[in-house]
Amino acid sequence: MNTATLGSRAGSPSLPSSGTMTGLSICIRFILRRNWIRLLVWAAVLAVMIPLVYDSQQQAFPTQAARDAYAQVANTPAVAAMTGLPYAAGSLGGILVIKIWMTLAVALAFASIFLVTRNGRADEEEGRTELLRSAALGRHAYSVANYAVAGALSVVVGLLVALLCLSVKLPTSGSLIMGASIAGTGLAFVAIGALCGQLSSTSRGANSLGVVVLAVFYFIRAGADLQTKGTDVSPLSWFSPIGWAQNMRAFGQNTWWPLLPLLLLAVVGCAAALRIETSRDLGMGLLPQRRGPATATAFLARPVGLVLRLQRGSLLGWLVGAVVAGLFFGGVGKAMSDLLDPSNPFARALVGNSGGSMLQSVLGIFALFNGLLAGAFAVQCLAGARAEEAGGRLESQLAGALSRSRWLFAQVVVAAAGSAVMLLLGGWLMGVSSNGAATGGTMAQASFAYWPAVLLMLGVLLFLQGFLPRLSVSLGWAVYGISVMLAMFGSLFSLSEAAIKATPFGAVPRMPAEDFALLPIVVLCLIAALLGGLGMWRFSTRDIVPE
Amino acid sequence: MSANDLAIEATGLHKRFGRTIALAGLDLRVEAGTVAGFLGPNGSGKSTTIRILLGLLKSDGGTARLLGGDPWRDAVELHRRIAYVPGEVSLWPNLTGGQAIGILSRLRGHVDTARRDSLLERFELDPTKKARSYSKGNRQKVALVAGLASDAELLILDEPTSGLDPLMEQVFTECIREVKKEGRSVLLSSHIFAEVEKLCDTVTIIREGRTVEAGRLDELRHLHRTTVSIVLDRDASVLASVAGINDLVVDGPKAAFTVGEAELGGVLAALSAYAPHTLVSSPPSLEDLFLRHYGGQAAASAFSDAAAASYAGAPAPAAPAAGKHRARTR
Repeated sequence: MNTATLGSRAGSPSLPSSGTMTGLSICIRFILRRNWIRLLVWAAVLAVMIPLVYDSQQQAFPTQAARDAYAQVANTPAVAAMTGLPYAAGSLGGILVIKIWMTLAVALAFASIFLVTRNGRADEEEGRTELLRSAALGRHAYSVANYAVAGALSVVVGLLVALLCLSVKLPTSGSLIMGASIAGTGLAFVAIGALCGQLSSTSRGANSLGVVVLAVFYFIRAGADLQTKGTDVSPLSWFSPIGWAQNMRAFGQNTWWPLLPLLLLAVVGCAAALRIETSRDLGMGLLPQRRGPATATAFLARPVGLVLRLQRGSLLGWLVGAVVAGLFFGGVGKAMSDLLDPSNPFARALVGNSGGSMLQSVLGIFALFNGLLAGAFAVQCLAGARAEEAGGRLESQLAGALSRSRWLFAQVVVAAAGSAVMLLLGGWLMGVSSNGAATGGTMAQASFAYWPAVLLMLGVLLFLQGFLPRLSVSLGWAVYGISVMLAMFGSLFSLSEAAIKATPFGAVPRMPAEDFALLPIVVLCLIAALLGGLGMWRFSTRDIVPE
Repeated sequence: MSANDLAIEATGLHKRFGRTIALAGLDLRVEAGTVAGFLGPNGSGKSTTIRILLGLLKSDGGTARLLGGDPWRDAVELHRRIAYVPGEVSLWPNLTGGQAIGILSRLRGHVDTARRDSLLERFELDPTKKARSYSKGNRQKVALVAGLASDAELLILDEPTSGLDPLMEQVFTECIREVKKEGRSVLLSSHIFAEVEKLCDTVTIIREGRTVEAGRLDELRHLHRTTVSIVLDRDASVLASVAGINDLVVDGPKAAFTVGEAELGGVLAALSAYAPHTLVSSPPSLEDLFLRHYGGQAAASAFSDAAAASYAGAPAPAAPAAGKHRARTR
């Protein structure tokens, strides 16, 4: 396996058998063994995007004329900010870059940060590193193995991306640059993850710090791509490693040399992390442990207050997601509906056969996206209830004067209210930013129509929490995932209109293209109440089962 | 003593998880105002019993009363009057210890901030640190401070000192003595014999989900044999013929044996004939009592009958009732 600069340095067999690298190969095998499923899933999920997205784009823009038309309108601020400058929107390779490059690069950056933390700081925090280090193991062996394995994931993903691009007959140099620019981003963020793991003394802190750094670099390049003229490279983009990788311009100018600063950052960053590791005590970080309040406020001690506090980070994250999605969808709605050819069956299937104009259909599917986003938040939020039970923290709460139904109700209230805010806010922003295609009120209504479907998801989770607590989280996500697939791609799977209308998110009238209908809303609410009520009843009468 | 003076009364509790039988007819009584020790090896059902008493698990058979109420039906009302300290304390990693104490004590309804602050000081716990950074001992302290800061009538403590250092154990001992002085009741599940001997008025020993020994600590000791070490002026094997001597081990003139309470007088009289140089007698320790129940099933059931019959101050019907449930289902 090619492990690039890190690997060649780490994996060299000529290293002395004693010293800071002793036991390196054992560590690498150990980390691979502990993470192979995770690594495999990351690599497969990221790589498979290439043929999937390529295929859908080929269907959306089947002719060169369609692609040229797209190139004329592709450079909107929303596209530039979210996915980068569309410098080659007239070619299939260029469209592939617009659609998936940023997603892959950022996802690989996330994967790198999380992997390095998981096998670095998290192990150290839990005391596993101490156990390992007490054996005949060099001081840096485990860390270098960690960086090498995470780096290897980037290289493998880069290779797979390049190979898959080649396999769909995209130009060779563009395909190679595509793979290299994504791998380079991943490697740079291995180093950033390594540094964060040395600075923070907790795994949560390391991950948060890494994500903040990633967000800062993402926004620097977003600003750069927004302020530049046409599709020229902006000088500001050189302040972000993501910008370096973007400036390699796969399927455009195909520039190799920005790979060098990426690799340099990877090597220098990891070396600096190892340097810090030499000078600090095991278990310590360079940043001080944050302290917190010595007492709980009256609000925190209420069940709803505690849930809100525990979900605070995720709630804020999802709200930001809803805001960004609302602004983005509103911004691209009109351009997208102009582009989509109503006679193209793929486009028709995507937006549904709702009869309204193409613009209204596109806005309708954006409202659905909002609904799906809110549904995901609701599932994740209520999955937190099972986490409290599994973690043993529920027992301590129920040993107080707190009834089970009141406790569970608090979880539901936060999930339901949070998703309602997401729907209204995201929908309203979508209308406001749509350049007059729809009003904020119209889109807020269209989005909020999905609240009963979200409540049905909550009902399913409550039911599972009552009857199958140990499986509730995975089954809940499975039900959500299937509902999403059916609502979005049901017609692609040749499902009948009536069948799609019988699924949770498909049942909701797709406003503004369709008229509001009360019946499906009432039915969704009734099923949600029935499932939720049964789940609540069962939860109040069953044993509490920690993991 | 009437049944109303019992803080905890569990009779013939049964509980199974799938094919595993956790409780098979467990009896437990805690008189109001006493500290009750609850002993048993790992997996013997201590925590299961406590979870049933807290209304977290529903028993499959038998009856349980907590402060005169039904632990399942009246859970919320009863929990205002009790405090619970689990053996394995899990906290919210991103909240501070102080916040966790606040949440746990406010759920109970009454917070005595002066008492909480003095406990924080005595247990040397920093409440501003995030729970993620706490050691096992510190997590245990969080639960102890939250539990002890309350004015609960009954404290249910599940191995509360398992992560504490000896100094903190000392603090814990003092705290429990204060609780007892205030006339409150304590159920203390523990592995530490010294702790139980120091603190408890009564003790219940369980094994494989049933009670094998229960009663007042001082009276239980009488049930068992005194251990005697002796040095004679001749070969000690002569002792083999003395009636009432058990478990005799002879090493030249030295010997060690056990004597039942009833035979002690006769044995002492017989011994004087052999002109002993030294005689050391030691009362049975709780540890002896406990370890005795690992000798095998027969020994265990013999003791359990004796224990049930000897229960100090307990109304008699409990013992036969428990006996009925003792048919093994495994």
